[in-house]
Amino acid sequence: MSMTTIDSILEGRRSQPSQLIEVLQDVQEICGYIPQDAMKTVAKELGVPLMEVYRVVNFYKAFTLKPRGKNVFTICTGTACHVRGSDLLIDQVKGQLKVEPGDTTKDGLFTVECVNCLGACALAPIVVQNGSYLDHMTPGKLRRIIDKTRGAKRKEASDA
Amino acid sequence: MMQTVTLKIDGTPVRAAKGSSVLDAAIECGICIPHLCHVPFLKDTGACRICIVENVRNGGSSVTASCTLTAQEGMVIRTNTEKIQKLRRNIAELLVAQAPNSKAVQDVAVRCGVKEVRYPFRNDNCIQCGRCVRYCTEMWRANALGFVGRGKNRRVEFPFAMRPEFCKNCGSCTLYCPMSVTPCGGPMKRGEESLCGKCESQTVMTPGMIGACVRCDLGKGFQCTRHVL
Amino acid sequence: MRKLEHFEELENLRKKVVAQREKIRSTVIICGGSGCKATRCLSVIDAVKKEIVKQGLGHEVLLRTTGCHGFCEQGPLMVVEPGNFFYGHLTAADAQEIVSSTLKNGEVVDRLLYADPLTGKKIKTEAEIPFYSAQDRQLLKYSKLLDPCSIEDYIAVGGYKALVKTLTGIAPKTVIEEIKSSGLRGRGGGGFPTGRKWAEARSVREDEKYVVCNADEGDPGAYMDRCVLESNPHLVIEGMMIGAWAVGARQGYIYVRNEYPLAVQHTRLAVKKAREFGLLGENILGSPFSFDVDVARGGGAFVCGESTALMTSLEGKVGEPRPKDIHTVKEGLWNKPTVLNNVETWANVPSIIVNGSGWFASKGTRGSKGTKIFALTGQVKNTGLVEIAMGTTLHDIIFKIGGGPKNGKAIKAVQTGGPSGGCLPVSKFEIPVDFDTLYETGSIMGSGGMVVMDEGTCMVDVAKYFLKFLQDESCGKCVPCRVGVDRMLEIVTDIAEGRGRREQISLLQELAETVAETSLCGLGKTAPNPVLSTMRYFADEYAAHVDEKRCPAGVCKELIHYDILAEKCTGCGVCLRSCPYDAIKGEKKKAHAIEEPICRKCGICITECKYDAIAVG
Repeated sequence: MSMTTIDSILEGRRSQPSQLIEVLQDVQEICGYIPQDAMKTVAKELGVPLMEVYRVVNFYKAFTLKPRGKNVFTICTGTACHVRGSDLLIDQVKGQLKVEPGDTTKDGLFTVECVNCLGACALAPIVVQNGSYLDHMTPGKLRRIIDKTRGAKRKEASDA
Repeated sequence: MMQTVTLKIDGTPVRAAKGSSVLDAAIECGICIPHLCHVPFLKDTGACRICIVENVRNGGSSVTASCTLTAQEGMVIRTNTEKIQKLRRNIAELLVAQAPNSKAVQDVAVRCGVKEVRYPFRNDNCIQCGRCVRYCTEMWRANALGFVGRGKNRRVEFPFAMRPEFCKNCGSCTLYCPMSVTPCGGPMKRGEESLCGKCESQTVMTPGMIGACVRCDLGKGFQCTRHVL
Repeated sequence: MRKLEHFEELENLRKKVVAQREKIRSTVIICGGSGCKATRCLSVIDAVKKEIVKQGLGHEVLLRTTGCHGFCEQGPLMVVEPGNFFYGHLTAADAQEIVSSTLKNGEVVDRLLYADPLTGKKIKTEAEIPFYSAQDRQLLKYSKLLDPCSIEDYIAVGGYKALVKTLTGIAPKTVIEEIKSSGLRGRGGGGFPTGRKWAEARSVREDEKYVVCNADEGDPGAYMDRCVLESNPHLVIEGMMIGAWAVGARQGYIYVRNEYPLAVQHTRLAVKKAREFGLLGENILGSPFSFDVDVARGGGAFVCGESTALMTSLEGKVGEPRPKDIHTVKEGLWNKPTVLNNVETWANVPSIIVNGSGWFASKGTRGSKGTKIFALTGQVKNTGLVEIAMGTTLHDIIFKIGGGPKNGKAIKAVQTGGPSGGCLPVSKFEIPVDFDTLYETGSIMGSGGMVVMDEGTCMVDVAKYFLKFLQDESCGKCVPCRVGVDRMLEIVTDIAEGRGRREQISLLQELAETVAETSLCGLGKTAPNPVLSTMRYFADEYAAHVDEKRCPAGVCKELIHYDILAEKCTGCGVCLRSCPYDAIKGEKKKAHAIEEPICRKCGICITECKYDAIAVG
């Protein structure tokens, strides 16, 4: 992460320990994860022990320590989605991509995550693909979307 | 002149320094409330829940940890009711099923009356009492250790899981760790864990004086020689 | 925009914007809430905008994009005034017809109307739709009346009237008395009397006090707070201002969970606008009252919905709860007196001030006054946000408003209160929705989540689901929650997977009671509720799993198997091709078969089969 980027994030927040979570959220948004160096800089500039920064990054689900894949699939596991079969969606994605929720595929194409309720329960089950909500999902639909995405990426790679 | 408050613990009027916890007040006057994560010179967090007591007020009572309960004037506390004994025993049972490979944990379990363990044994090497973390943070202010993660994944770790240069290598974390004292019969192998119970032979009983402690080395090891009758 | 320096200036502005609204010939209201965004309402809004201009109606028709209306299942949806016509399930292609028929000629587009799920009859107006008409939408009615990004809209519908009334003539003590008399109880789950909380905070002699809005709506299946913040953020800000005046606070925080980006956006914008207009800041409207509010985002942790954990998170730390032997109204945020209330609680305050405590207390039961928003979801025909007077029965909510079972399977239970709540069987559906009645029956009101379950839901699986959720979200500090919930899950998993033993049932009961009594915070203390309530009311399902190794609902994977019915199978091969585990074998045009140990019961074959040839046994 460049010094200018982190400088602009820390602008107006230096020496204010209570700003830690807001600062980290900006880092996550820009970098896609929280780099080690960023944690060290943030600790120093906010006046928070490095141990605390590391604790905060590990405690909150919004922060990831590793970069995410090109396509992030977030499966909602809220009650309404569960009752309408979100478990089957998780099984589908585990079988198809061979990763556990929270992990990224080796080729860096897909990251699978679970979230405990997005508040769109009437449209359950929900899967979010890179910020877009996909409603009334079924294992079959999800399988096809992942295949299509993979196919598109292959085509991109071969076109390049 | 130190300010004091007077409260009743198990019917006994106890005078405690203002601002002290109910646990401290009890131990001061020889009433032993079993405890595990409490260390006299470190901040109490109420993590282990072994020191629970009943706080009697408004016609009822609430169960709360005595280490985080500040002693107030006129408080009525019960440390050894049947309800508390059962709850404490259940918590100690959970702990010993989780981490049987520690004399301290086995001792506390016996002290709390655990006679059988109804859960499959696990063999964790940390009970997350937080002694090491608090020592490092409060006494040395090194901040080299901390609780990382949430729920089942919570663990004690260095930043980035590597000992940092600002770790002072004082060894206090190991010294105060309950897991660093192995059971009298030796370390238990996976699959061979059991409720030790050996400390029964070392208990000293004082007939008729329930709740009064006979011998308790505060902060030094965990051998509690009181046996619940 | 010039700052409003005096109460009169606000009233003048109000008169002006009201007059402007009255001039508009017709209004097209399209919901832009998160639920409708998921069904691509943005393309509908865009298309309608273009059509209005194209058909020359730009000067006569106002297009208003609003926040969530609460009927997400019908989205993208639209209301046209005058006429109160309601259109649902819109696509961009419908725009042309809507503008030419309805806006130009006042004619209804029949195919877009809502059809009653029981009779099939088409309903013209929003007001006649039973889902809406059976409700008492005191808070939700504002959704369609205003654009959440416009402070002028809020003022036009009466916004900040309560604030003016308070600052110009109601002393803080009197405000607290009013809230006490109204009987308002916390809408976040605890149900603590709001007036009493405020009085306690006021009584502390301390210059620095805080008011906090808990918008960390973490209960899965609950989205009432998302709706209120997305559609009417100023209402919450106004409520907090009145509370701050009453207790003596000058700074407030709205803590919104990370998973609600639109709510964060709208609330931050509302705060910005309020500051611009002088409704937040120093000497508001010329009065001695100064107050400002900041919006903070959560980091993705359910436990931060607990008040002490929320405050710790606001302080920039890990959200671990603290013991509550000393109440947060005395020592809360930065150890200062803090009043923390839920979004819906704050949202109710302005109307109590304007209409009086008697008005609020005239609705509801003896112990639970006013209206409450519920998120009715699950296996019921009409899902969405339902605002009703306290005291309405569960039966009326589920059958009259919800329209009864969705998939033809009989309704078996309703889960209220999220992971802290319990499951109630049909035999209890006659009870009124009321804080104390729900608690006595073995559940809680909670924040308002209400999930309807049918015969296809396994109650042991439900208990397992909630335990897994809580195990994931537990902060891990105290033994009963961290270890106890884990062991409860271990036992329930044994039961669900066919390894359950009789003595585990009594152990589970004892363990659940221990966790409830000894946990440090509310999360742990209420964690056993799903287990305890399902064991109480659905003991027969537990017995079937333990004694017969059978899952009556056909859900628990280890106890069921998938079979292809030879008489129905056409040998089309669709299931064979779609099985991700290659568990299906068969020749073309001949009956196929599922290989038992390989089959993972993922359910794909069942959804793909067009002949209903796969059965679960």
